[in-house]
Amino acid sequence: MNIYTYIMRRLLYVIPVLLGVCAIVFVLFNLVSPDPTLIMLGKHASVKQMAELRAELGLDRPMLEQYFDIVKSAFTFDFGRSWTTKQEISEMIKAGAIPSLTVTLPAFVFSTILSIAISLLVAFYRGKAIDKVVVFACVALMSISSLAYILFGQYVFAFKLGLFEISGYDAGFPYFIPYVLLPILIIVIISVGPDVRFYRTVVLDEVYQDYVRTARAKGLGEKKILFKHVLKNALIPIITFVVIRIPFLILGALLIESFFSIPGLGGITLNAINSSDFPVIRAMTVLSAVAYIIFTVITDVLYTLVDPRVRLS
Amino acid sequence: MEVVKEQKSKNLWQHAWGTLLSDKFAVTSMAIVTIYFLVAIFSSLGFIAADWTKEIGPSYAPPSADYIFGLDIFGRSVLAKTLKGTEVAMSVGLVTGIISMIIGVTLGGIAGYFGGKIDEVIVWFYTTFNSIPYIMLLVAITFILGKGILAVYLALGLTSWVNLCRLIRGEVIRHKDREYVQAAAAIGGGDFRKLFLHILPNVMHIVIINFSLQFQTAIKSEVILSYLGLGVQGQPSWGTMINDAKLELARGNWWQLAAATLAMFIVVLAFNTLGDALRDALDPKLKGK
Amino acid sequence: MAEKILDVKDLVVEFNTDRGGVTAVNGVNLEVFKGKTLGLVGESGSGKSVTALSIMRLIPTPPGNIAAGEIRFRDKNLLDIPLDNMRSIRGNKIAMIFQEPMTSLNPVFTVGNQIEEVLELHQKELSNAQRKEKAIEMLRLVGIPSPEQRIEEYPHQLSGGMRQRVMIAMSLACEPDLLIADEPTTALDVTIQAQILELMKKLQDELGMGILLITHDLGVVAETCDDVAVMYCGQIVETADVKTLFAHPQHPYTKGLIESIPSFDSTSGKVKDRLPTIEGMVPSLFNLPEGCNFQGRCQNVSEKCRGSAGEPKLETIATEHQVRCFHPLS
Repeated sequence: MNIYTYIMRRLLYVIPVLLGVCAIVFVLFNLVSPDPTLIMLGKHASVKQMAELRAELGLDRPMLEQYFDIVKSAFTFDFGRSWTTKQEISEMIKAGAIPSLTVTLPAFVFSTILSIAISLLVAFYRGKAIDKVVVFACVALMSISSLAYILFGQYVFAFKLGLFEISGYDAGFPYFIPYVLLPILIIVIISVGPDVRFYRTVVLDEVYQDYVRTARAKGLGEKKILFKHVLKNALIPIITFVVIRIPFLILGALLIESFFSIPGLGGITLNAINSSDFPVIRAMTVLSAVAYIIFTVITDVLYTLVDPRVRLS
Repeated sequence: MEVVKEQKSKNLWQHAWGTLLSDKFAVTSMAIVTIYFLVAIFSSLGFIAADWTKEIGPSYAPPSADYIFGLDIFGRSVLAKTLKGTEVAMSVGLVTGIISMIIGVTLGGIAGYFGGKIDEVIVWFYTTFNSIPYIMLLVAITFILGKGILAVYLALGLTSWVNLCRLIRGEVIRHKDREYVQAAAAIGGGDFRKLFLHILPNVMHIVIINFSLQFQTAIKSEVILSYLGLGVQGQPSWGTMINDAKLELARGNWWQLAAATLAMFIVVLAFNTLGDALRDALDPKLKGK
Repeated sequence: MAEKILDVKDLVVEFNTDRGGVTAVNGVNLEVFKGKTLGLVGESGSGKSVTALSIMRLIPTPPGNIAAGEIRFRDKNLLDIPLDNMRSIRGNKIAMIFQEPMTSLNPVFTVGNQIEEVLELHQKELSNAQRKEKAIEMLRLVGIPSPEQRIEEYPHQLSGGMRQRVMIAMSLACEPDLLIADEPTTALDVTIQAQILELMKKLQDELGMGILLITHDLGVVAETCDDVAVMYCGQIVETADVKTLFAHPQHPYTKGLIESIPSFDSTSGKVKDRLPTIEGMVPSLFNLPEGCNFQGRCQNVSEKCRGSAGEPKLETIATEHQVRCFHPLS
């Protein structure tokens, strides 16, 4: 089997998964969730009002049709209109994607580079005091609620010390920069704990392999062994780990965006949740699932490309 | 054959227990977890923090000798609320852990053991499930179930089994062709007997490690649910306390945030440490890393 | 008398473990000569691999630690030189090959890449093209067909035997004075085993290096070695040239090992029906007995062996034949 047939097969598997995702979304939001007209009109709505709204929202159409609408939206990205803002959802998504990325992308790049650097450092000094301290610090960092980081960061660094903007956003480069600095910093702090732990394990998995002993027997120095032999092997799991997280960047950071009033997709999602805006919630769910599925395929294909051992069968 | 296997696995557990007891961090973590459980049990029986609803002083009194962690907006003791919050945290961790364990082990075990079409369906199901963002599933489930602690249990439990399921499936596939399982087949063990009596005890270590990590994830997730307005109603939880702090902080009232964060930090740290220690003790191939 | 390349004197290696300290190598003496092969034989855990790694100074420290002794390589004590100098010796003057050909090569570099790396390290004067040429030449030398193509391949594309050939090519690229081979054939099929041993012998004749061959298999020793040292519980218990050792083993342990070689009887030379084994277990290094370490498994055991006369010493009983036993066999 060559790489192209592998990619084709992998892409074919996307179809049942996508249909499954749409089915779950359909079941959750169209079938078993409480009647949205009740939420929208309040408890005192008359039966007639409710029926009218149901017709307006298209909730009276056959179930199968409603399901295929969701499936169709996964391919066309035409999600209809929001119930609350009445905007085209696809337009909302377009408008929200850039502000989200201005926060999540730099945060992702910084935290990934920082975490890999720290994990290589502690792998070099494995078992020594610095390694133990870093590992403990990671666990400690992971043990604090992300909400607490946000609240504390905003309060101390923006409100008390005035180092950063408390909240808000200005579109366009470079105007957004002052607004995204603190959110980026907070995301980096939240992610560095689990990331370092993961990368450290990956690197240490390699450090104890036989080929490292061979490299030493050849006369290679420890640094060269770590940065050439070990790192090239460790990069295989690291690349897959990094790539699979890319779709989440587009989705934005739910809590961060809402606290810092960044008009990104995370904020849109949160508003939709608060106002039971089902079409938007459904759209964000389908969109993220599609992004996730596509990136799993990319990850799998990358894996076969970067690892010479993977033989396609 | 069987006797030999059982003795071997018994020794493994004894050895793991010994390793755990010789690890200072693990012992401390176990002690902390036990204390938290006791606090939770005593508070649910009304021995501890039963008067958390009582107004004992001025609104937002800062921490002092009289009020260790200060008071909240209604003049209630933050300390009492924090203690009472242990009840929600520990029950959320426990119930969520059990729900995800039951689903994960059952589906993973069946998929790994029977293979073929059944396996394909289960793998398809969790792949599909895993493609949907966690937070959206949480939201959907709480929409359906309404608010309250039951919804929190189910939402967190029903969304957290995929990882365990995948691990168990992989492990069962590795185990099912081993001699002891074949031997069980030879003496006439049925499929379910083989799966539950012979294979699952050998993958138990994964379940235990996973449970410990699941527990702390659930405690942290409860905070997010509270923030989304989907949390526990009518009784204090660390999540609602942290969430309340978003309005209080601007006025400089930091103690509710601090108390809940600290209480959570200690027990989550203990579970994380315990999870690592369990992995070292039960999964010897990872030892020394 | 050939030139002495390696002289290990009174080597002591200790390990700190969770259960306390152990002495894995306890006063070992070894000599390897130019163009000759010394076989170091023993069961797993006898300290033979630790001895080998100590010569390369590759003992993981901690938990390991070379506590005493000298490792003289030509005129230098390897234990005295700085680590940087040691690195310029590793892979260059002293090379090592390992038991696991499947995992000893780095999976993400090509075979050529890994051979060229040694040259890059120790023969800096070579150009890239020369290095590649040399790598191809080495592969040809170790009998790998169409080396020009093989050089671009990854280890997983080769069979176990081929990989071990690559390891040998890599270790001999700088024409070392000493090759340490730690169970080089144990993981291979019997037919491949013979080929690899043959190859090592052939290359020794061509390049003239001394070989320290570590093995648990006396059959391999009989085929390839000039001298033999038998290790038990971190100590040498008998050493002699290969003919003497097989013809007149003095230590009961050596005799037991020889008798347990399939299809070989030390006295009659005939194929045996049933293989005798050495009764009992190797004592734990944490809990060595007083006196002789072999007492629990020895048929000739006496009061003296149980500690009344202290530990047995390595005594010279004939020229170049030493044994550590209170009751040598003949």
